[in-house]
Amino acid sequence: MNDLDDILARLRAQMDLDAETEHEVLAEIRDHLEEAVAQARARGVDEATALAQAAARFGLEEEVGRALQAAHAGWGTADAVIAAGLPVVCALVLRWLTFAPDGTALGWPQLLSRPAFWIVALAALLIPLLRFERWRYALVTWAVFWGLTVVFATLPALRW
Amino acid sequence: MTVQEQMRKGTTTVILLHLLADMDRPMYGYEIIQELEARSQGAFHFKEGLIYPRLHELERQGLLRAEWRGEEGRRRRKFYTITEAGRRRLERELQGWRTLTEQVNRLLGVEAGL
Repeated sequence: MNDLDDILARLRAQMDLDAETEHEVLAEIRDHLEEAVAQARARGVDEATALAQAAARFGLEEEVGRALQAAHAGWGTADAVIAAGLPVVCALVLRWLTFAPDGTALGWPQLLSRPAFWIVALAALLIPLLRFERWRYALVTWAVFWGLTVVFATLPALRW
Repeated sequence: MTVQEQMRKGTTTVILLHLLADMDRPMYGYEIIQELEARSQGAFHFKEGLIYPRLHELERQGLLRAEWRGEEGRRRRKFYTITEAGRRRLERELQGWRTLTEQVNRLLGVEAGL
């Protein structure tokens, strides 16, 4: 007899997703199976039979797991490219804004007073937030952006 | 795979988009399956688990918007809503479906409505 956690474990074995995506996918499937079992129980079916029926209607975990993996394939790669590339691009744009035409760096007060600076900084925060819909990714991207910005602004060797 | 199974697989996208457009409210996976089975009077019976990869693909394509509702630690559900891009895609799919069925019916000598 299938235990709900066993079903989810077999499903999980077919997937190689990032932890947060996997957690969400399994939570959604768990909710599905729990509701199917609850409906059967409401009709007077015993727990074990209800779960077996729900599992049968759900389909083979291996097949569903592979389909879920295929559906999410590429998400991680695309996200990684954006997460890694965006702060670098934003920092490079800012680097261009940071230096005056004669190659000398603007002071922080001048930089922070420029609307363009805040537009770039907001883009570095909002694009990953809206794209990933995960605030952790957005914060990491923003932190990298700020790190690179400080490096570009303070290390003379990297100016040009 | 039978013709019916092949057609069912190929039409899942348009069926899901149509249902969510028709209901015009957020729905979660199990609810979508129940509604499809009720509307098809049992004829549309498929492996329930395979609807989730399709929903996730449509979400990825921006045709559906998904949102988790419910409090952390209690029952949380992922609700799907059709987007404007989804509605436009549905229109194209329906047009394509009408054209295809007309052409196939003509080839098979089947009159429309039979």
